[in-house]
Amino acid sequence: MIKSPGDLANELHELPPSSAINLKIVSDSYFDAIRGIVDIFANKKNLNVIYITVAIPSHSIIDVLKILEIDLTNIYFVDCVSHIMIGGAKKYKNVLYVESPTMLENIMLKVEYLIRKSEGKNNVIVLDAINALGIHNNMKILSEFLHIFINNLRAKDAYSMVFTMEEFSTDEISNMMKLVCDTTITIGGGGDG
Amino acid sequence: MPSENIIERERCVTGIDGLDNILNGGIPRGNTILFTGSCGTGKTTLSLEFLVHGALADENSLFVSVTESSDKLTTNVIPYDFFEESLIKTGKLAFVDMPVIYERLGLTNVEFSLEDVDTLVRALGNLVDELSVKRLVIDSITSVCYRLKTEEKIREFILKIGKALSNRGCTSLLISEISPSADRYSLYGVEEAIADGIVLMGNYERRGDLLRTLQVVKMRGTTHSRAKYVLDLTPAGVLLVPLLKGGGGI
Repeated sequence: MIKSPGDLANELHELPPSSAINLKIVSDSYFDAIRGIVDIFANKKNLNVIYITVAIPSHSIIDVLKILEIDLTNIYFVDCVSHIMIGGAKKYKNVLYVESPTMLENIMLKVEYLIRKSEGKNNVIVLDAINALGIHNNMKILSEFLHIFINNLRAKDAYSMVFTMEEFSTDEISNMMKLVCDTTITIGGGGDG
Repeated sequence: MPSENIIERERCVTGIDGLDNILNGGIPRGNTILFTGSCGTGKTTLSLEFLVHGALADENSLFVSVTESSDKLTTNVIPYDFFEESLIKTGKLAFVDMPVIYERLGLTNVEFSLEDVDTLVRALGNLVDELSVKRLVIDSITSVCYRLKTEEKIREFILKIGKALSNRGCTSLLISEISPSADRYSLYGVEEAIADGIVLMGNYERRGDLLRTLQVVKMRGTTHSRAKYVLDLTPAGVLLVPLLKGGGGI
């Protein structure tokens, strides 16, 4: 069980590139997880961050990062929710938009594009969160997506971090994550995860 | 187990990573490929990228535009990160308008005769020789076929142009326009039977989402994937990923 962003970054630091990590986030540790990955871990390893937002729009995450005083220079977003929001959302230049969270192939394509643009710099890809993708997609296509996506990222030596919001997880999601990820790390809560 | 005696044909590496993977290394050099699909599926963009990569690899590349003026084409369709203006200045990448060729050859009739077909094929062959072209795109072959009218003349034209280009070691993409509901790969049905390869580009609708797709249906001289891929047109070029099947239950 990990309690702080620094501990999370230290734990991740030990893992080799191409690792796929299921990050189980318990209760109110969401921002600790974000800080641990996109700030401390990515800076320590000199990584670009490609952050896939499914649970909440990218502008909300960007606002949070600004409040946490995290440098946004090497953070890029693939936003899968803003397009389906009625009224649209504020646009940022480091954000690529996917029309709908059901367009799973387009998520892979946008990530591929950002990896190509990173010109040799290694990447950490954050998928926030698998539960939210599960709202829009059935388990068969979601499993197929994760299997192909994570294996592609492995081939590119990228770190994959898949968020699971522990309170909203199901047995199906847990089994799928066990199949595609190498490591599970739990952050927050009082259990021994 | 593959025989050691199989001779691998030299490849024309398209430079589009996903497509080269699908084709196990690229298009067999000298093949004439039908790039077919309805409008907005990315045929012109993909064929232009094929030429730009060719020019960057020091292979002279020629785009023959039948429907759109090449000036308009160059201003609208080259936002690639890897594009260099010098490719056009040095003649590595050239554009020719087919109506200009028609005019110079005196092909003014609405319907071409078999003699006109020979004249046109000879002129294109001479152009390929003159510019030492290794990669050619005709956009679109459907528009040329409008002037040929009969199956006999279309067959004659495709056979002769394919042979003329292949003999010169020129790998060519013939762009074919079909309607979204078409049940064949070309408007006249003749082109697809004669071409060495068929790459089908389309739109795939899944639960209201419209995905651009690419599928290599046929390619002589190489083994290849026949699966459907989803593509994205980006400044880094055309990117491809496999179409998800979702267990076939959607």
